[in-house]
Amino acid sequence: MPVKEVMSKDVIFVRRSTKLRELLDIFKSFHIFPLVPVIEENRRLAGVVSFRNLIDAFQSYHPDVLKLVPFLDEEEQNIFKIEISEDMGDLVVMEDIMDHEYISIMGDASLEEAYNLMKLYLKEELPVVDRAGGLIGRIGIFDILNAAFRKKGIIK
Amino acid sequence: MNTILGLGFILFTGLLSAKLIKRINFPAVTAYLLLGIVIGPSLLGLVPGDILAGSGLVSNIVLGIIAFGIGQNFSRHHLRRIGRSVLWISVLEACGAWILVTSIFYFLLRQPFYLSLIFGSIASATAPAATVMVIREYRAKGNFTDTLLGVVAIDDAWCLIIFAISLAISRAIYAHMVDPYFLAKVFLNSILSISGAFVLGALSALLLSIFYRFMRTPTDLLILTMGVVFLNIGVALWLHLSVLLSSMFLGTVLVNINRYSFKFFDSLKMIDSPLFLLFFVLAGANLEMKILGGIGILGIFYLIFRVAGKMLGANLGARIASAPIAVRRYLGYGLIPQAGVALGCALIAKSDFPEVGNMVFTTIVATTVAYELIGPLFTKYALRKAGDIIV
Repeated sequence: MPVKEVMSKDVIFVRRSTKLRELLDIFKSFHIFPLVPVIEENRRLAGVVSFRNLIDAFQSYHPDVLKLVPFLDEEEQNIFKIEISEDMGDLVVMEDIMDHEYISIMGDASLEEAYNLMKLYLKEELPVVDRAGGLIGRIGIFDILNAAFRKKGIIK
Repeated sequence: MNTILGLGFILFTGLLSAKLIKRINFPAVTAYLLLGIVIGPSLLGLVPGDILAGSGLVSNIVLGIIAFGIGQNFSRHHLRRIGRSVLWISVLEACGAWILVTSIFYFLLRQPFYLSLIFGSIASATAPAATVMVIREYRAKGNFTDTLLGVVAIDDAWCLIIFAISLAISRAIYAHMVDPYFLAKVFLNSILSISGAFVLGALSALLLSIFYRFMRTPTDLLILTMGVVFLNIGVALWLHLSVLLSSMFLGTVLVNINRYSFKFFDSLKMIDSPLFLLFFVLAGANLEMKILGGIGILGIFYLIFRVAGKMLGANLGARIASAPIAVRRYLGYGLIPQAGVALGCALIAKSDFPEVGNMVFTTIVATTVAYELIGPLFTKYALRKAGDIIV
């Protein structure tokens, strides 16, 4: 069964220019923070934002610059003690904190491929894209498990 | 002390020393290096002989892993993101230190050319840890900080290329000192060493990409990545090719042919920290105190002219890229620390040139300690002058 038959088509996404405050407003009533796709004007997937990127937002600079640097000490940051100004909500945009490198899956790929990818990279959800790299949905591990249980007749 | 007890002792005391030195805002690498000097044979003699004898093995593995990671700098995506200023400044500050230190050692100190070239190429390295620590401590922000971070992030890539080319030339000069076809042989050997490393790195990347399709768990991925990185290092050593270049090319080719290549690099990050700790402690432990007194003038000239070369190069790069005045004037002050890559290169020099290797290595360890201690003060000065921190 292809991913596009099981995925959720109703996905909350943001733009590169979306402010941190706007993102937090969207999800303020959620209990967990999902993987949020960041898309271009033509719906092309440009990156993703996870809760880890929200933690990075407390840093004074974008950690992406230093990702390739060897022997760097990890920053031990206490998010409750760091002093940051309220303006940060408007100054930090998704472009600053998103992961430019991410795992995605094509809509035509099989559920087994999606499952293997999640297992290999320890992911619980993936953005689904078309051949041109445009965002068409999201698939979570529970969507795949549901499909597997349905196939076995455990749920109808 | 048996070998396993020695390893446990090094890891445990290394961690403790890093936590302690962090309280006075120095990076972990400084703590590891100082710990190595203290527990090494020159002072307390607490490092078992078996572990000291394995220094070459550890340094080859660690340098291979570092160079593999540094290869990512040359992805199409990353190269597009690097600004003109960062590119010009980083290339010219690295070349500035290389050329100035080589020239001073050769013309002024009358050292052999191959030795001057080795010192010059090691001088091109900059260690980002101390600089980044100051930036984090004062939460520096601004155009100057962005440029400085960009430069220290890519500098090691230029250093590896400069060192690999210099090493190939130095080896060839060293081996053919009295040969009639001297220049031709130097040229041929250097080209063979560099192009062979490129072919080996590219083949290793293809191997990794092909077998990656059969991996199903993160453990599979880690073992595959480690296996191919080690194979690559091993074959490079066997064929007398550059370990640094072949590992860097492996990373560079991989990042450009495999969409999910970042996961290979991420998986190695899970296990590299204890190896890095061991590498720095052993670097410190290999320091020979009896040679230390003899490096005098060489050490002082290296200390001064490496910094001068970096400052001149950074200034010239900033002028060419029309960078702001603060970047032109003060960026060089943020490039003073040297550590991991310089020590690794010095360890290679130590094993490749037995007659002078100990002197090169001791000079680099001693100057590394000095640079790591004074570097943060200059970085803070530069950030304050540039207006990126208010202290």
